[in-house]
Amino acid sequence: MTLSENLFENLRLELRRGCLTLAVLAQLRQEHYGYTLRKALAERGLEIDESTLYPLLRRLEAQGLLTSEWREEDKRNKRFYRLSGDGQGIFVQLLKEWQAINASINNIL
Amino acid sequence: MDLLDRYLQAVKKHLPWQRQDDILSELRANLEAQLEDKEAGLGRPLTTGEAEDWLRQIGPPIQIAARYQPQQYLIGPVLFPTYWFVLRMAAFWVMIAYSIGVAVQVAVRTPSWAAVIEGVLRVPEVLLTTAASVTLIFAVIEFLATRYPGRWPALAAFPGEWSPSALPPTEKDSVRGETPRSRARDIAAVIMIFLCLVWFLLLPHHPYVLLGPGAAYLSASPFQGAPVWVQVYWWIVASTLFQLIWRCIALYFGKWQQQRNAERTAVAAIGLIPLGLLLSIGDHAYITLKHPALDQLRYGVALNSINKSIYMCLLLFCAINVLQLLWGIGRMGLNVYRKRAAAMR
Repeated sequence: MTLSENLFENLRLELRRGCLTLAVLAQLRQEHYGYTLRKALAERGLEIDESTLYPLLRRLEAQGLLTSEWREEDKRNKRFYRLSGDGQGIFVQLLKEWQAINASINNIL
Repeated sequence: MDLLDRYLQAVKKHLPWQRQDDILSELRANLEAQLEDKEAGLGRPLTTGEAEDWLRQIGPPIQIAARYQPQQYLIGPVLFPTYWFVLRMAAFWVMIAYSIGVAVQVAVRTPSWAAVIEGVLRVPEVLLTTAASVTLIFAVIEFLATRYPGRWPALAAFPGEWSPSALPPTEKDSVRGETPRSRARDIAAVIMIFLCLVWFLLLPHHPYVLLGPGAAYLSASPFQGAPVWVQVYWWIVASTLFQLIWRCIALYFGKWQQQRNAERTAVAAIGLIPLGLLLSIGDHAYITLKHPALDQLRYGVALNSINKSIYMCLLLFCAINVLQLLWGIGRMGLNVYRKRAAAMR
């Protein structure tokens, strides 16, 4: 990887990081477990590595933005996540912020 | 699948032990669901090669496990700039204190190059100990601020309030007509002054550091310095020490661009004292004979000539020093007048 490619990759990851949280919160307005959430996001054009998504779910839950419960599905125990009450409020604020940034960038461009 | 079990086992070893089983159960459920999906798509189980490629794509076990750990800092990004500044300051001041300590020790005990070299060789140890102590203190502050933000609000808000008006002035505000000085230049000056001080302290027991091979001739010659030179020597040492302390204080308060004039004036004033001492000697006997009764006849004329020359040189030095002092006082007065005039505008 050249220096400029490396720089681009770092900047791209930085740009994506905040957006991923927003996308996960948006998708978890409906209940999902890790793998189906990953698939749902990928179907909408947002691929996320397992190593990024699964720990992110844990962090968001620890911050009180998600709730989770273990439940059996297809003869297998799975942990299902959903947006919490606090998470709903934060999600609305974050969405507004993202839309404002998006509009500003479009205006600048 | 044996490979997946081995993979999860490897991940488990690096997970936080309190949540190990919970995280692993969830990860297993997700990966098994993904594996089933893949196998359903292919209509057959994955071959070993395909399974290896899949797990390789997910990432090394240690990396996967690390993502589940909270972000950990010894010293976090908020505290780090302050830590870095304090570390550099501590290293600088400890080195100054240590150097003065070593210089005094060398001067008080029997001065020798071995003692100086020993002092220099201990520098890395002193610096490492300082760095370790500062790092430990900041790591504790970081720990307390992170773990107990409510209990230690002052630490969480570190470095606290600051005032823009307390910042050091810009270089253009320095004394008019003088080139702006850099911090690096003044640090170099502090080191040079310190080395001069060490050199002065070595002089009494090692005159060859001043005179070189001439020291041997001097000890064999019939002449010797008058006792007044001892007093002059200590005044020079005091003056150098004063300059060192002055520069260190200026550096510490970030005022190395200012006070050059004041420092020069103060040094010129201090310099007048030993010159006054020397000029006050009635018969200008700066150099005397070791054995006057024996050598007066032979060296008397030469001695008078040497002492007269020294006296003339001292007069010249004194005149230069007085002019420097007057010039410095004049400039300081002018600067005060300019500042007052600017403030009234």
